[in-house]
Amino acid sequence: MPDNATPSLAKRLVCALKIEGTLKEKRPVHAFGWGAKGEFLPSAVAKNYCRAFHFNLARRDDGSLVTYPVTLRFSNGSGEAKQRDSWSDVRGMAARFHDPQDDTRATDLIAMTLPEFFNATPEGFAAFAQAAKSAPCRAQTPWEKLRDMLHLIQPMPDPYPGQTRRPDEGAIRYADKDARAQLAVLQAATIGVPQSYLQASYHAVHTFRVTGFGGTNNVRFEWRPVDGVRPHDPDLTPEPGSPPVDPDDFLVPDLKNRLKNSAAGPHVRSRPMRFSLMMTIGETGDDFNDPSRPWPPRRKRVFMGMLTVNEACDTEKVSFNPGLLTDGVAASDDAILWTRIEAYRYSSEQRGGTPCPFAEGQ
Amino acid sequence: MSKPAPDWLAAFVDSLPTRKWFQFLSNWVVVPYWHWRDPKPVLEGGPRPAPQPSENLQRMMNLVMPLRDPSPIGRARAAIVIAQNTDEIFAGLDNVGTVHNARFVLIGDYLCMLSVYDGDFSNYIRDFIVAIGSVFDAVMDLVVGGDALKPTARNVEKFIDWVHDHDLFQVPDFPTDLFALQDAAKGLGPDAPPHPLRSLSREMILQFVANPNVSLGGGYRAYPGKSAAQLRQNLGVGW
Repeated sequence: MPDNATPSLAKRLVCALKIEGTLKEKRPVHAFGWGAKGEFLPSAVAKNYCRAFHFNLARRDDGSLVTYPVTLRFSNGSGEAKQRDSWSDVRGMAARFHDPQDDTRATDLIAMTLPEFFNATPEGFAAFAQAAKSAPCRAQTPWEKLRDMLHLIQPMPDPYPGQTRRPDEGAIRYADKDARAQLAVLQAATIGVPQSYLQASYHAVHTFRVTGFGGTNNVRFEWRPVDGVRPHDPDLTPEPGSPPVDPDDFLVPDLKNRLKNSAAGPHVRSRPMRFSLMMTIGETGDDFNDPSRPWPPRRKRVFMGMLTVNEACDTEKVSFNPGLLTDGVAASDDAILWTRIEAYRYSSEQRGGTPCPFAEGQ
Repeated sequence: MSKPAPDWLAAFVDSLPTRKWFQFLSNWVVVPYWHWRDPKPVLEGGPRPAPQPSENLQRMMNLVMPLRDPSPIGRARAAIVIAQNTDEIFAGLDNVGTVHNARFVLIGDYLCMLSVYDGDFSNYIRDFIVAIGSVFDAVMDLVVGGDALKPTARNVEKFIDWVHDHDLFQVPDFPTDLFALQDAAKGLGPDAPPHPLRSLSREMILQFVANPNVSLGGGYRAYPGKSAAQLRQNLGVGW
């Protein structure tokens, strides 16, 4: 663990992120989530790059391909007390891969729709979290907006109806002083809303060291939806016959609807509920320990496998942790990653989450 | 506490960016004012130096050359020059050996050569002049400023500079990197102090005054990090 990733800092972070008045049993961020079960089929080349169990393409005695059970949690990034699906927010996708041959073995991959993290160091992130705490907000006056326009600056978006607090202003003030936070703050402020949890790309922003036949590589993972990345258009007229949509709660009903159609059989048209897992290989010159800096799209990418979402399940008590790894996948020296590992552990204790039975203390 | 603005005023201000007269005012008064107050240097074209191997493979050149005669007759002349030299161009590209793909495009008042190559830009152009210098001499007849570069084989360095000047600026993959590029062009250190984040929209608009034609990002690659030679070798077609 890097020296600056201390458990006390992780605790401070959890406390800084927790919004006053929210339930203790809720996570401090990504408070509203929905669980699902799925299965992962590794690609033919995955095991060349990583010897982890879930990347081993194998056949059963009957010749069928082995798939690996996956527990999933999709979530909205906000830690506010009320669910607001139609508000612009970072979304999360936590995945736990299980080994069907050994039920003591599992590994997690935590990803979000933001392609980078808000800072490169735990101290910087702690300062950011403090500065970007959700605070009272108001719409800019027409004169403030006009002034921005005449300065060729995009006015701040008006708060949503009913929105009295948001982190945006504090986050921007922080980013004005810390250039490393600028990209994430800019992208988080404009990230919008997906049409479906199954129509967004999710990035595991940290570097991991994976080992396979060809040696060890520094890599980052991302989920690419087969159904395409589609932002939600609030002005779009609902399709004829579709049920009325609650703007605060439409992402989970969408998932349930898709699962229902998928389970109904081939006679009912259903949308793909699959994600490709892509692995990007870092190169000399890339900073493997800085999650605030994405790698350009020119790095080598490997298709590691396909995830299919199958059915709903309750995962609210499950404690995912980016440090739950398995042989073949190791954490890099990214101090933010190590701080998150500690923070997830502490947060789980605080809300009475189920510790992971497979890894001591996690 | 000040009295809140009436709803109609708020709605009116919100609608300004879609109103023609406000767009006219912005384009003809506001942007020129800011350009006068804070002019941006023209940012260099082509890929930027980077140590990572994959940054030095499959690099993009977007050579945009203003046509001397953009009329239909001038365009036809350009089309004929390229068509008459296809054999020489293709043979030359095979000999250069580091080119993934290349094509000529007529668009607007420009003749463009769009190509993807491996390795150093100067050496790419040098190889080109050796391999298809006579084609470039013919192309120089078609474009503004081309006469001064002929014969290209005897004006190699001058020609490389000219191509570099006409290679499109590649907008950074990550938008906030624009601040550092602008600072570097002014001889300033990156982000010292950091720029206000919300000023990025103005910096981008003003940069488009200096670099109106650009490549938006570094583009997609299906097989990044592979050279033309590696691909041909793996496909069993060799060089």
